[in-house]
Amino acid sequence: MVKTKTVTIIEFALSAVAFVFGLIGWCAVHSHIKHNGTSKALKKKSRLLMVLMIVAAWFFIGTAITAFWNGKAGMNVEFSMFSDRVSVFGFSMAKTSLTMWIITAIVLVLCLIFRFLVFPKFDPDNPKGFQNIMELAIEAMDNFTKGSIGDYSGELSPYMFSLAVFMVMCAASELIGQRPPTSDLIVTLAMGLITFALINIYGIRKKGFGGRVKSLAKPNPVIFPMKVISDIAVPISLACRLFGNMIGGMIVMDLIKSVLGGYASGIPAVLGLYFNLFHPLIQTYIFIILSLTFINEAIE
Amino acid sequence: MSAIGAGLAMLAALGAGLGMGIATGKAAEAVARQPEASGKINAILLLGCALAESTAIYAFVVALILAAK
Repeated sequence: MVKTKTVTIIEFALSAVAFVFGLIGWCAVHSHIKHNGTSKALKKKSRLLMVLMIVAAWFFIGTAITAFWNGKAGMNVEFSMFSDRVSVFGFSMAKTSLTMWIITAIVLVLCLIFRFLVFPKFDPDNPKGFQNIMELAIEAMDNFTKGSIGDYSGELSPYMFSLAVFMVMCAASELIGQRPPTSDLIVTLAMGLITFALINIYGIRKKGFGGRVKSLAKPNPVIFPMKVISDIAVPISLACRLFGNMIGGMIVMDLIKSVLGGYASGIPAVLGLYFNLFHPLIQTYIFIILSLTFINEAIE
Repeated sequence: MSAIGAGLAMLAALGAGLGMGIATGKAAEAVARQPEASGKINAILLLGCALAESTAIYAFVVALILAAK
């Protein structure tokens, strides 16, 4: 215990000295630049001192968190397939579905605000500001849907857009420390089942029930059972793909946080840009384009 | 014992890695041949990578089921 205390004090002292050294050096270099003009070597020196200052501050904060809030490095990572349960008004509920309800409520309130407060002010003749962004996003989604499926794109584009908004919001909920709802197999399976229903609804609407059944036995009636099985596999594969990707990103972030322990300030934020924002965006794109491809297959 | 099973299940990632590597290599060749078609090639590459990745993802889910208590 005594030894760890000494080490902690030495760490504090080292980081504080490095920070003060960096600060003084940076101030000196800048006053030099102010009086005598700038040069390339001086700029490099000032940048180096800045980096030293940031690293020292990060180390100081990490040491402080480790010492006072008991943030240990190398903690055990515990994860489970299903999320923790909380009690809400006496009902035992999964945390992810609570997060999902909150996200849905936020999206609904935003929808109402946009519909009744923002949209009436829009000017169709000379769009500006926020209206430009909305028109750009919706036009891009419309074109994307139209490129993937010719007919019915007008009906499917709003659903796909809301799906994209929902999935991006779910991924963003991980940024504030919640388990993302899309890392729950139930949620992704529900989304896969909606896609399955859409495939069959649009197939039957386009060709009629007999035509839909006939299209399953298209090249040869022998292939019919295999086609039925591969159709049933679609929602399961969609659900497992999304679930596996999201929980994989979550586990990687948990591992990073537990390895860093108390020093986990700053670094997870940079890595989270990939694992919490870019990766879910790609998964959203893939989910949507796969849904559209399967629907297109059914109505072709 | 189940941990060994989980590790063995992840051998499926080998196939996904091979498939994604081949797909990306071919996409790079295609872009080198026709740089103006890079947008379309990108979309197809993403879709193909997602499909190739899915076997590894299934293996990952199986490994999770085995490893998580």
